[in-house]
Amino acid sequence: MIRVELQDDIAIVSLDRPDKRNALVPAMLEQLDRDIQKCAHKVRALVLVGEGKSFCAGFDLKLCADDPGGETMRQLLTGLSTVVRTMRAIEIPIVLGVHGAAVAGGCALLGGADIVVADEQAKLGYPVVKIGVSPAVSAAFMLASFTSGAVRSRLLDTELISGSDALRIGLVHETVEDRDAVRERAVEIAEILSKKPGSAIRATKSWLNEICSPMTEHAQRGLDVSLSLTGSPEEQERLAALWG
Amino acid sequence: MTQPVLLETDGLITTLTINRPDARNAMSIEILEGMHRAVDGLASSATSVLVITGAGKAFCAGMDLKAVLIELSGDASVGEELLTSLARLTLKIRNLHQVVVASVNGAAIGGGCGLTCVCDVTVSHKDAKLGFPEVDLGICPAVIAPWVVKKLGAGRARKAMLMGGVMNGQEAFDIGLVDHLAEDRDGLDALTETVANRLATGGPKALSATKKLLNELDGSLEEAMVLKGAKLSASVLASPPAQKALSARLKR
Repeated sequence: MIRVELQDDIAIVSLDRPDKRNALVPAMLEQLDRDIQKCAHKVRALVLVGEGKSFCAGFDLKLCADDPGGETMRQLLTGLSTVVRTMRAIEIPIVLGVHGAAVAGGCALLGGADIVVADEQAKLGYPVVKIGVSPAVSAAFMLASFTSGAVRSRLLDTELISGSDALRIGLVHETVEDRDAVRERAVEIAEILSKKPGSAIRATKSWLNEICSPMTEHAQRGLDVSLSLTGSPEEQERLAALWG
Repeated sequence: MTQPVLLETDGLITTLTINRPDARNAMSIEILEGMHRAVDGLASSATSVLVITGAGKAFCAGMDLKAVLIELSGDASVGEELLTSLARLTLKIRNLHQVVVASVNGAAIGGGCGLTCVCDVTVSHKDAKLGFPEVDLGICPAVIAPWVVKKLGAGRARKAMLMGGVMNGQEAFDIGLVDHLAEDRDGLDALTETVANRLATGGPKALSATKKLLNELDGSLEEAMVLKGAKLSASVLASPPAQKALSARLKR
């Protein structure tokens, strides 16, 4: 479900469940976390991309609908929080490439990246309140990367915005016209980063984390808020309705 | 000896010109001391607007690299002295009651670009060069990072400082590093004057109260962070990889 390729001084980590638009399941998030940590010691920059037609459709909601107790949702929320924390904590920079779509939990991964590339037509958004889920788990990370205005409208509004609009509000740093060019450009940026003096990059990333990352308790608080809604009647009814 | 800093007041607007054109207005100890004196004097001045610009072709090329290259200066403490002075200067400028406008006439690089982020409003032109190439030289822009984060937002600041390099005025305008953009260098002075004059129409008390509130709200008064940044930046600067990269750059 996760594929890692090492190429010179960079690692290309791919979400690899293309038939499900790379929808996240608990084991996938655990593997992603382990792989990112392993790569951090082997290379000088990391690329996170998705296989198939789009980057990531978010949590696999079918699994959640089949689990009325909410345990799967709890595992997904906790796993997502852990991965994003790891992305921030590792010393090497992360370039994330969004082709096609980064929705909900997929969009949350942007909060752990240092540089985001997307295609102009990509769809980005966090439309989870409509299924009774709170995106609070990502609030601290998103606020540490993006302006409060951009974060509020993404987390509260169910609208999906285009890559071009995401560039305008600072959710992504760079767009390419063609979705098939996203991966190539993300790799190119990582290669540029990998050739810069490593000690300066490490010092700069960790200093940026210190001056603008959410404190651990904010991240934990957000996760707790999201967890407090799992298994609630509102969430269960709305999830079940999705699969009619 | 030439003055490191020129000051000129016209009505409610003071213009501070960094005056070391033969070294692209790079920040030496003398330049920084001159700026400290000028800014100290402005704290008791009744003007409403301060415009900061550079003499000659550049706005400010950043830190004086020759001064911080240990093999040239023979003194490993200069780096920390310069960085601490710059850190204190940024805090002082941010705390001025005047609204501060950076008029970026040419290159604003590294600490010079950081200086624009401390200002309230930045005016520049399409052909200017701005950016943070510190990592390319093996150094860490820790002193100015808090100001860049406040100006651009953390996400854009991450890219600007981790990717290094420089961008043109249009690119800087697109990410919010520049607030007002003239077509070319010839159009900059008129645009700066328009912006400064418009700012000066504000009630002096309303302007300074608003600026003070913004400083409180966005953490601009957190001195410890900027001063800690100077220590961190100095330690990276004194490290062998950084000194080697700087030496190679200066011999180019």
